[in-house]
Amino acid sequence: MIIHPIQDTLQGAAPDSIQASTSVPAQGADGLERVMLADDKLFVVLAVVLIIWAGIVFFIWRTDRRLRNLERTVGSGIPDETI
Amino acid sequence: MSDWILGSKSGEFAIKRYTIIRNVILVWMTLVLLGAFLLDIPRIVILEHTARNLYFHVPMWFTMMAAGIVSAYHSVRVLASGDPVRDVRASEAARLAIFFGILGLLTGMMWARFTWYLGTGLWWNFDPKQSMAAVQVLIYGGYFVLRSTIDDPRKRSRIAAVYNLFAFATLPFLLYVLPRQMESLHPGAEGNPAFSEITHPIMRVVFYPAVIGFIGLFWILYTQRVRERLLRKKLEYQPEM
Repeated sequence: MIIHPIQDTLQGAAPDSIQASTSVPAQGADGLERVMLADDKLFVVLAVVLIIWAGIVFFIWRTDRRLRNLERTVGSGIPDETI
Repeated sequence: MSDWILGSKSGEFAIKRYTIIRNVILVWMTLVLLGAFLLDIPRIVILEHTARNLYFHVPMWFTMMAAGIVSAYHSVRVLASGDPVRDVRASEAARLAIFFGILGLLTGMMWARFTWYLGTGLWWNFDPKQSMAAVQVLIYGGYFVLRSTIDDPRKRSRIAAVYNLFAFATLPFLLYVLPRQMESLHPGAEGNPAFSEITHPIMRVVFYPAVIGFIGLFWILYTQRVRERLLRKKLEYQPEM
């Protein structure tokens, strides 16, 4: 396994052949790109986290629906006490 | 069983109340996530952007503490009433205490490895707080080992409740008191305040809501698991269903 040393390549040479053969447009970023690339691309991470969070919220909601349907079938209710 | 409502009016009210609180928590957590990334924080050497881990790693321990409190409360009620629903609640809260404790340990390892332990290759450094937290997670693990050894439900609920009170009694000492007596990476060591004056005020704006949000998330998962356990209990009583 080749472990490459960590280098800042923001100003220097391209770190690999793919990046060397791809021309990264430095200018002309549209509105979305301007937002996402700001602050060392931190907002890309935020977008990823929000996608995961949306999935978790969906799952919690689905589980609640399943529980509710089961409780109706069995003829029981949600516990009266909240905690 | 005290909180076992069969299609009553208060049962309908309970489900409405649950849904409202759940939705508020989910929206709240979304705002916390937005604030955690969008609000600008001062860049400090070594920490840099990982200072944002304050919003995620530290609430794990607050949540574990909250889960321990809920679990211990229901264990007291088990001993007072012998109600099997209390036993369900105590054990599910303890399970989530372990869950959030493990998440806290893993996030702490990840954070420290790439900040303070950079260049050492160390994932585990026997930081007092780290070790004590691991011990506390194991103590809660013992609760479930103990439960698995007793077949009689009544006896199990009472013995487990007594053990659980012991587990809760060690929690504040292992998480808060002892680590502060020793040299540690964690703030609050050697009698320092846990939140130092250099912590930027904007971080408190996200941190405290994050603590509330994660405890809310615990509550949602806890309620779901309690409902599932009560459904199973109910089906055991009526095997023809």
